[in-house]
Amino acid sequence: MGKTTRRSVLKYSAATAALAAAGPLAGTRAWAQAASSPIRIGVLYDLTGPFTGAGSVPGSIGTQIAIDLINERGGILGKHKIEPIKGDAQSKADVALNEAERLMSQEKLDVILGIYASPEAIPLSEKMEQAKKILWITIAVATKVLKGKNLHYTFRPGVTADLYGAAAIGFLKDHAKAQLKIDLKKLKCAIIHEDGPYGSDTGAADALHAKEVGIPIVLDEAYSATTSDLSSLVTKLKRANADVILHTGYNPDITLFLRQAREAGLKFKMLIGHGAGYGQRDKLKQAFGTDLDYFLNVDPVAAQNLKPGTLKPELEQLVKVMVERYKKVSGNESVPPHVSMGFNQTWVFLQNVLPKAITKYGGTDAEAIRKAALDVDIPEGGTIQGYGVKFEPPGSEQAGQNLRAAACVTQAHGDVEAIVWPDKLKTANAVMPLPKSNPYAA
Amino acid sequence: MDIYLLEAIINGLLLGGVLALLSLGLNLIFGVIDVVWICYAEVVMAAMYAVFWLYTFYGWPLLLACAAAIVFATVLGLLVHIVVIEPILGSAPINQLLATGGVLFFLQSLATLLFGTDFRNLGIRLPVLELGGIFISFSRLIAFGIALVGAVGLFLFLSRTYLGTAVRAIAQDREVMGLMGVNERRIYVLTSAIGSGLAGLAACLLVLQYDVHPFIGLTFGPITFMVCVLGGLGNMIGGFIAAFIISQIIAVGGYYFPIEAAEVLAFVFFIVLILIRPQGILGK
Repeated sequence: MGKTTRRSVLKYSAATAALAAAGPLAGTRAWAQAASSPIRIGVLYDLTGPFTGAGSVPGSIGTQIAIDLINERGGILGKHKIEPIKGDAQSKADVALNEAERLMSQEKLDVILGIYASPEAIPLSEKMEQAKKILWITIAVATKVLKGKNLHYTFRPGVTADLYGAAAIGFLKDHAKAQLKIDLKKLKCAIIHEDGPYGSDTGAADALHAKEVGIPIVLDEAYSATTSDLSSLVTKLKRANADVILHTGYNPDITLFLRQAREAGLKFKMLIGHGAGYGQRDKLKQAFGTDLDYFLNVDPVAAQNLKPGTLKPELEQLVKVMVERYKKVSGNESVPPHVSMGFNQTWVFLQNVLPKAITKYGGTDAEAIRKAALDVDIPEGGTIQGYGVKFEPPGSEQAGQNLRAAACVTQAHGDVEAIVWPDKLKTANAVMPLPKSNPYAA
Repeated sequence: MDIYLLEAIINGLLLGGVLALLSLGLNLIFGVIDVVWICYAEVVMAAMYAVFWLYTFYGWPLLLACAAAIVFATVLGLLVHIVVIEPILGSAPINQLLATGGVLFFLQSLATLLFGTDFRNLGIRLPVLELGGIFISFSRLIAFGIALVGAVGLFLFLSRTYLGTAVRAIAQDREVMGLMGVNERRIYVLTSAIGSGLAGLAACLLVLQYDVHPFIGLTFGPITFMVCVLGGLGNMIGGFIAAFIISQIIAVGGYYFPIEAAEVLAFVFFIVLILIRPQGILGK
């Protein structure tokens, strides 16, 4: 070992001081020197457990397609490939937290992207805030993930549960009187939902917006998504004689409800689902055949269902590739909206946030990404789901939420998932009430 | 009587049939072998998959697929007994519980690996029965009927046959019976076969009402276990009665209160009764 002299200590101290003074610059330089270094990001979805069948796996495939496409184009700024480090939340909040811890502390990642389930998103967003790491939510919609929290490190480019309620009631406001021949003030609505944050927030949004337009709620009830029996709920719905049922659930609670409803002779004029299990039309069709034709569903736009010409040509091309690849990977012909959600939110992150974080803020650490995300300003029509992106800044009511996200109402017309609301995106007119041939039709 | 209340009571009875059928096999196994199969609902899940694949992929007639699924469940149960239970028969109960818990996760993971996480169903829509304005689920009615037949059949087997008498004798005093020359191992194997065969039977009826997925056991496992404990773990008649008590609390309670509150009510009833009678309704 070399002898430590006063001269060597001084030399070392001077060098250290110089390095410290040049810290930020040195960091940028180091980043620039690592010319083709990959960017490692955590990707966390429910790949096992009950949520997989309600959209988590399609969402994760959407994310992977976006990453593959960017990498095939040479990576971020044409030189930094994306290296996803994957985790499985197993449809459990505690596992999601453990996986996030692993991704942050063992894999040393600054970003976790994904998250299907709201019960996972809520504790995870708080954990990431404490760790000052980025959580980029692609699917989870519960409003309370961000509302009133003033989170600085969580971003959600997609929709909130509140927008689901607004869309469902907005549709009824525009169509109920004309098509059901019932005045809004006499339209009997029932709200049923699973009792997690997703169902509770969506049910609350339904109730709030219904109250605003004067729609009476004849039943508002929650249930556990893992319940083995919903026959009492069906009996109560029969007693309430609701015209319209607003239902928020995962799967298989939705199939259990609809099966027991049919067996118990429950009749209604319309049922409006709110994403998750209702977004998985192919799964529902396996169980119910054409019985669920003309049921409505609220969700963010599944990009492939937009009218041709709605999007810019380059976005339409992107949608085409996404759909082709999803069908190839999954082996399914039906492409649920979760694919678009997983793809779109990831695409925005890779295409609009990371490049700016590197070029303007000097790297891909959480702070640089946070600043770059707040700079994002995509106008309406600028993403494959039709909406734009502008995040609410820190200090506002829903800091980190995309102000420009929007949901639409779709209806199954045979094998086609038609957009029936809002008018500007409409691809077909809504059929309401349910045709008499439908076994649920009142 | 309010027609909707009557419908809730009938729904409770039919749900009770499902729970009773599930509790029969679990109670039999515990009563004789004195080991709690925490993985019992996963054996049901595996048999549900068997029905699904044989019926939808291989085009077997439903009844034949169900018969094959019962045989499959029986073989699976025997494997569980021989490979996992038998080596730890003399171990502490907690070790036995952990071992069958391990089988639970193994079967869940194996199903995920083999079949993926998709929800699958037979796509069969049974007719709806309407009697005086009350609708009755045909699939649940069948489950209810078969639960009754299963319970009576099991009772007759245990009380009227030589083997059944041997099973009861082992359940009463395994050490003395061993000293008297009874082959305990053979009785345990027989009991595991019957218990898991009943799981297969339950699977055939549940697959008509529920989607199949690797985690379907979570829907039934906890409540079946609760029913067995409430009735007196190992007591088949007690389990049968408990199934109908719990199902009525859930169904009728759910009619008067929010359905989540009804489930809370069922658990409160369970806790209070266990505090008063720790051995369960008919346990000794």
